[in-house]
Amino acid sequence: MLTGRKTRYFLLLFFTGYFFSTSSFGQSTQIRGFIDGLASYEKGKASFGFGEQDLFITAELHDRISFLGESVFKYTPSSPTEFSVSIERVVIKYNIAGNHNLLIGKHHTPLNYWNDNYHHGRVFFPTIERPLLFAANIIPLHTTGISFQGHDLGKLKFGYDFMIGNGLGSPEIADNDKNKSITAAIHIKPVEHLRFGVSYYHDVISKGADVHDNVVNWKVNQNLFTGSISYFGKKFEVLTEGTLALNKTDTTGSRRTLASYIYAGYRVSKKITPYVRFDNLNYQEGEIYFHKDDMTSFVGGIRYNINFLAVVKLEFQHQHTEFEGNIDRVTTQFAIGF
Amino acid sequence: MKKVNTYQPLRLTVTVRLLAVCLFLCAGMLVTAQDNTLTVVANEKGAPAEIKMSELKSVLMGEKQRWSNGKKVVIALMKTSTPLGTIVSKKIYDMSGDEVKGFWLKISFAGKGDVPKFCNTPEELLAYVSENEGAIGILDKMTDTHDVKVVSVDGKKSF
Repeated sequence: MLTGRKTRYFLLLFFTGYFFSTSSFGQSTQIRGFIDGLASYEKGKASFGFGEQDLFITAELHDRISFLGESVFKYTPSSPTEFSVSIERVVIKYNIAGNHNLLIGKHHTPLNYWNDNYHHGRVFFPTIERPLLFAANIIPLHTTGISFQGHDLGKLKFGYDFMIGNGLGSPEIADNDKNKSITAAIHIKPVEHLRFGVSYYHDVISKGADVHDNVVNWKVNQNLFTGSISYFGKKFEVLTEGTLALNKTDTTGSRRTLASYIYAGYRVSKKITPYVRFDNLNYQEGEIYFHKDDMTSFVGGIRYNINFLAVVKLEFQHQHTEFEGNIDRVTTQFAIGF
Repeated sequence: MKKVNTYQPLRLTVTVRLLAVCLFLCAGMLVTAQDNTLTVVANEKGAPAEIKMSELKSVLMGEKQRWSNGKKVVIALMKTSTPLGTIVSKKIYDMSGDEVKGFWLKISFAGKGDVPKFCNTPEELLAYVSENEGAIGILDKMTDTHDVKVVSVDGKKSF
């Protein structure tokens, strides 16, 4: 069941899209959807399911103003209908000059390569699911606020993002406290297909804040440092990212978490790409903000691109966690765009 | 008396000639495909009269939002399912048509740029470029290009 706030957001998104698609400016509007079906085998049991249904609206409504909305319909066990709608992105972009833009709204926090480049639709993911550092909520996936963005500047194709947002624990419509989150990211693309990026995130999470459906019982001063290297060439694909998280509370002092992964793929043909990914999450003893559960994971799989809107992946994953031990899983996914 | 089939040599000759004609036509088509030259057309307001190939590729990859005169860069391409669209995909993007469509979809939904206008015919592309300030597109060199300007690439009117 939709909550009142979510319903209002969804209606706002719908009517905004409708307005953009029918107003007299004659701008172009695109509406797209993405979804994926899954089948998995784990611990002697086969399961079928489907992922998030992702609805996209993009529109250009002025020479300098454009809009992007992304809403997701997803399985939510706590909802009476077992489904809910979440607004993942609402971004109004104003082109200031050249390749410099001002963005207002709810964004994918411009940390790391993955979070900044992939949306919720799985069709473009190189693997079936996101790396573990996303599932473990090491980085804030979304931030509502205002940001400045530049891209492809100079010979090195320098890009930057500087964002001020409400920060973790804030609802969509207002900040929950006086603290603002700060994100600063830069990247360069020195040669074709290659990108280097580093970023920094700072936030102060108030005691009592609700973050990812968990109440934080301590005031947390959080600093994240990330680095990424990506290369998606004609044959080889490599993507590696690392995040160093420093969470400081009055009771524990500063605690360090390291989260990283490396993905590599080789295109044996235009359609077929075998790949591997290795993830590692390592928490320092005494970490109380993150759910401390040291984890490693190996993924080996193959991706078959039927076309740009239909992709089939088959993966084997071996995961070792501090609390659950070893888990082996075979998953296949059919991801589409429409 | 044994009947001689006088049509057999004639049929063989006709078959050989037909094969020769087919081979000639196929060879001609191959040469045409390899020789396909492209011309960059642009609205009178926006793109410069001359551009480097590296800059053209950068523009068509969505890396430039505005021309130096401040006009918004608007890209017009032939649909990748058309013969010209296939050639542009290969020569400019070094991709298949399908990969080009995926490339733009990914850029658009990452919020990094606007999808080009994909046209069904050269006439539609020409009309779009002529009607939209800042627009730039690619056509065959033989196409009538009045109402728009031809942009030289590395000093050449076609490439």
